Amino acid sequence: MERSIKQYEIDRKEAVRIAARLLLASGTTTPRVGGVGECTIHIVDDECDIEDICQKMEAMADIKKSWAFFRRDAAMVRDADAVMIGTSLRSLTDPADINCNMCGKLVCEYLKDEEKLPAEPDVAFTGPLCTFRAANIAYAVDGMVSQARNLGIDYGVYWSVGAAALRMGLLPRDTGFALAVAISITEKSPFRDIPLKYDEINQRTMNDRMINRLWPQFRSIYS
Amino acid sequence: MAIVEMETMVKAGLDRAVELMALAAHNSFRFNDRNTVKIISVGHEEMEQLAEYCFSLGDMSPLAARDGRHLVQLMKEPCALLVMGDKRRSDFNYNCGACGFRTCKELNAAEEMESLTANGPSCLFKNINLGIAANAAASAAHRLGLHCRVFSTLAFAAMAMEVITDVDVCISVSVSAARKNPYFDRHEFWTRDYWDEIFAKEFPTYNRGFIGAVED
Repeated sequence: MERSIKQYEIDRKEAVRIAARLLLASGTTTPRVGGVGECTIHIVDDECDIEDICQKMEAMADIKKSWAFFRRDAAMVRDADAVMIGTSLRSLTDPADINCNMCGKLVCEYLKDEEKLPAEPDVAFTGPLCTFRAANIAYAVDGMVSQARNLGIDYGVYWSVGAAALRMGLLPRDTGFALAVAISITEKSPFRDIPLKYDEINQRTMNDRMINRLWPQFRSIYS
Repeated sequence: MAIVEMETMVKAGLDRAVELMALAAHNSFRFNDRNTVKIISVGHEEMEQLAEYCFSLGDMSPLAARDGRHLVQLMKEPCALLVMGDKRRSDFNYNCGACGFRTCKELNAAEEMESLTANGPSCLFKNINLGIAANAAASAAHRLGLHCRVFSTLAFAAMAMEVITDVDVCISVSVSAARKNPYFDRHEFWTRDYWDEIFAKEFPTYNRGFIGAVED
């Protein structure tokens, strides 16, 4: 019996759901400094939720010049099938008590006494954070990336998504730092071959234009 | 036909594996494509220095002392140590606030605090890039079937002993081709009595039940 394209689309979505959970597994089991668990990974695989995050990122892009690239990130993440957000739950409130001086405060007691940056629009993370703790996120992110490579699915890593999710209140209370891995199971990775002005000119905005036929070649050449 | 002994193959395989780990770390993801992570492989002579330094920290850092003793044990069988580090200043211009300064410019202009473990304040994304490199090396080691553990203590020692220079923050990945996994459940370092004593000191309520009870 002939198989429908619609069935393929359903199966593709199911693959995303499974892959996201396997990435979560790999990210969760990566090393943690001092062997202390403090990271969580949250899967956002609903299209509407992803859209909400993208709109927040676009709003944040207007706040300051150095965040203008959030708009480009939003254009990429909008095409993602799922977004995995890794958090560090202790870096804000509970320094590692190891006196490593990565934060520049010499000992953890001084870091605890230090006043945090106010939660104002132009502050993404209210540092100073415990750098030693927050570095755990790097392991979690690379755990997810490494699994994505094993599974042969496309991925992109974005701090803009983490910052937006944090601002939206999506993440657990006391989250100090968050980074996101977006994944896509499509024939063309939405995270690679990003031409200039991608926030304005991308698959979505080019869809209803006459030049739709030329766009894929243009993208391959000029990126 | 030439016969190659197992020890020779394991040694050669380990040397090659370390190179592949460095390659995997070098090629791993970086924020903003800022691949400034410095990676070195540490020889046995330097490893001895690191072990001695860690052990000398003794009561000041029981963790470092334990890792120093462990490194001595580790070196009895084929092993290798990758140390990687990066500078602390931000070249991202993300102005994210995670370091406690509103802008990268302020962070870069802030007074440097030197210490034996790291020089701060450091850009969090520099640390994240470094951590990703470390995890990529560990991931490669895992796939190659090596025993592996990531150590902060040995990296701190490498920085203090100037085994790795020109970096402000660092991390190390230790691998081993020992007959059994040497990195976990290292009970040989404690006597039963010592362990009981430390446990009772750290978790008094486990044995006493009521924290208000007076101990004589």
